[in-house]
Amino acid sequence: MAEAAPIFHFNDERSFIVEEVVARVSQAARDPLLLLNDAAWCEIRRLEARPGKERAEYERFRELARSLGRISESERRRRVEEVARHYAKDIAGNFDPRVYALSTKVLPTALSLLLSPKDLSLGLRASGKLREHLVTQGPIERIRALSRRGTVIFAPTHLSNLDSVVFGFAHDREGLPPATYGAGKNLFTNPFLSYFMQNLGAYRVDRRIRHDLYKEVLKTYSSVLIERGYHSLFFPGGTRSRSGMVEEKLKLGLLGTGVEAFVHSLRRAHPQRVFVVPATINYMLTLEASTLIADYLAEVGRNRYIIEDDESTRVERVVTLVRKLVMTTGSVVIRFGEPMDPFTNRVLDDGRSVDLRGRTVDPATYVTRDGQPVIDEARDAQYTRELGEAICRSYARETVLLASHLVAGAAFGKLRDAFPGEDLFKLLRHRDEVFVPGDEMERRVADLIDRARALEDRGLVVLGPGVRGAPASAVLEAATRAWSGYHTHAVLRPAQGGFVLGDTNLLLYYQNRLAVTGLGFHPGRRRG
Amino acid sequence: MNDHPPTPVGILGGGPWGLALACAVARNGHPTLLHSRRAERPDRLPAQVAVTADLAALARHARLLLVAVPSDVVREVARSLGDVVDGAHFLVHGIRGLSGEGLTPISEVLREETPCRRVGALGGPALADDLIVGRASVLAVASRYPEVTDAVRGALQGPLMRVSVSHDLVGLEWSSALNGALFVALGYARAIGVPPALLGGFLTRGLHEAARIAVAAGAEEKSLFGVAGVGDLLAAMSQDDRPECQLGAALAGGATLAEAQARSTLRVEAATLVPRVVAFAKEHRVEATIFATIEAVFSGRVTREAVLSGLMQRR
Repeated sequence: MAEAAPIFHFNDERSFIVEEVVARVSQAARDPLLLLNDAAWCEIRRLEARPGKERAEYERFRELARSLGRISESERRRRVEEVARHYAKDIAGNFDPRVYALSTKVLPTALSLLLSPKDLSLGLRASGKLREHLVTQGPIERIRALSRRGTVIFAPTHLSNLDSVVFGFAHDREGLPPATYGAGKNLFTNPFLSYFMQNLGAYRVDRRIRHDLYKEVLKTYSSVLIERGYHSLFFPGGTRSRSGMVEEKLKLGLLGTGVEAFVHSLRRAHPQRVFVVPATINYMLTLEASTLIADYLAEVGRNRYIIEDDESTRVERVVTLVRKLVMTTGSVVIRFGEPMDPFTNRVLDDGRSVDLRGRTVDPATYVTRDGQPVIDEARDAQYTRELGEAICRSYARETVLLASHLVAGAAFGKLRDAFPGEDLFKLLRHRDEVFVPGDEMERRVADLIDRARALEDRGLVVLGPGVRGAPASAVLEAATRAWSGYHTHAVLRPAQGGFVLGDTNLLLYYQNRLAVTGLGFHPGRRRG
Repeated sequence: MNDHPPTPVGILGGGPWGLALACAVARNGHPTLLHSRRAERPDRLPAQVAVTADLAALARHARLLLVAVPSDVVREVARSLGDVVDGAHFLVHGIRGLSGEGLTPISEVLREETPCRRVGALGGPALADDLIVGRASVLAVASRYPEVTDAVRGALQGPLMRVSVSHDLVGLEWSSALNGALFVALGYARAIGVPPALLGGFLTRGLHEAARIAVAAGAEEKSLFGVAGVGDLLAAMSQDDRPECQLGAALAGGATLAEAQARSTLRVEAATLVPRVVAFAKEHRVEATIFATIEAVFSGRVTREAVLSGLMQRR
């Protein structure tokens, strides 16, 4: 079924897509001179500092900058096309069905080897384990049905570099068609990763290039793919959440290509439906937690926060993490939200959009004027903003609270009670200072679970599989077991008859998953 | 006549505001259809304005629909309207108020009850009578969609009407609603003989308080100091016939809220709104002394003397 997805024919369409992108970008260029000047200026400045490898690129833009004043308007337009084509070819990936088939077989085994490296012969059993420990939730049947009726844009939260691997694995397991996505060019420098990325339909995004012409090519490329039925994966948060919080604000650039693609396709005989599926990826442990939260605190704290140690992510850490994740059922939960159309209407199994009162709505009515589909940048930017807001609301509702989040929330609550009135940065300095008796800790966890359950009853959050119906002692046990031995500095250190609050940064990081729901401290809002 | 090509406009609501908007739009030469549930045609309605009792006919007539019904029926009206409109319609309301316990902006109610996304709101100092008799006046319109503000400007801007445009819809809706409460206070203060200097000081404090509250609700602060904010208040200083001011004066004269409401020609939204606003301010830790005083006046808990001395106190 998944083999019917257009990505399996990508290579046949590749040059057509590139040319389509070039044509659209050049048609949309209102001021070729400005566009080229901006591109040349940005690129010369960037490449100046990087002699050697990219010399040829540097010279190309120097030559372009020099000639711009002399050449005619039509020649400038031709140059826009030339630069756009250069970028479009660089961005366009490749899809090799054999590599895809291989990777879906290899990936679980590779992951399961990571899980139990000593027991090579039992790869299959371990892969079964991964199945158990990675839980997928949400209206998967409907998403499968919709993927046959139109293009699905998957828009998950972003916490870790493991996200795309884990999400891809869950996708394949649930029989969802493969989705194309933009991957940072840095991931293509590793020859092994690069081979897979390139052949799995990932397109290359060079984050170092910042000028408008490049961004236009990138967005148009995404738009053309969506219009032609390629299911897409965006992380609309832009980068990994540094704080550990669920995204409350999104980068709208790529998301906007969903609306644009829909309008474009209305001009064709068979319009392409576009469906957006928000999802949350929830981890008991986050691979890069220590570095991420340090980044975050350095950013918001400026000089009030000093980075003490720099932790890097090495292979053995990945191995430890995966082994840790496997110890607890449901330690990674991927939860798909309700699919919607680009105008935030709910979508039913048969692809119909319905409004909040359940009336069928024709999504084309949002973008047609006197019966004709019209692109209107200001209007579409607003539709995209509202789509972003709806995705964030879905993130908050579909956040799955796991033991580590709740226990960190309870512990952080204790920290705040111990030092009332202190600001965040003062609070965080009290490492290894606060002792919590075991029964108090349990009571705090139980209280938080009760409040979380009350929110769950109102559909505002979700309790994780290991938390629902479990006694507070078991939740506390699960979190401390997961943390111990994974994070260098103990998060919650068992001591005589209770616990000592250890790494306060990590307590903040894990409790931040509660912030948006109002169950925990929200570092971005005022106290209370 | 104005520079904008004639474009059909639909108006919902046969009350004074519906009539006023119909007059203003028809004066600019746009084909205007008024939807009214009342049996008889409003007597001051210009001859060229057609009247219908059929919502579907209204939806077919125009893409731009101006909603001018009382706030307590807007949800019900919007729900019926939702059956006949689609994603192509622009819905713009002229209701000074916020809906329900949650203080939901009326534009949100329109979005909840209809499939329409492109919504907006009218505000500003224009009185219904200005539009009906044709006095030069000012209206404000806000929408996050430039298409919508363009359409409203096209319909209402003319020799006798200046339309001021903003994209801060939340700002306009909160500002208008909070001003409604300040108008009542203004009427009350004038009636108990608060001298002009103190009145000016009190309104300024009220405006700043309103700004803090609106910002907590997601408004941009500068919207409170635009036409729909401070402009609205400045005009009210000399609009003795504002229904809200009359209600305030009646309260000052010793009438109960129910008696004062009964005397008013227009429904005053402020009476139900103020207690909720005070609760909202408390929840968001925003200082709201003026609004708390207005609440006390509505409930009849305070004497004129207490109000007056309250205005003089510093904390």
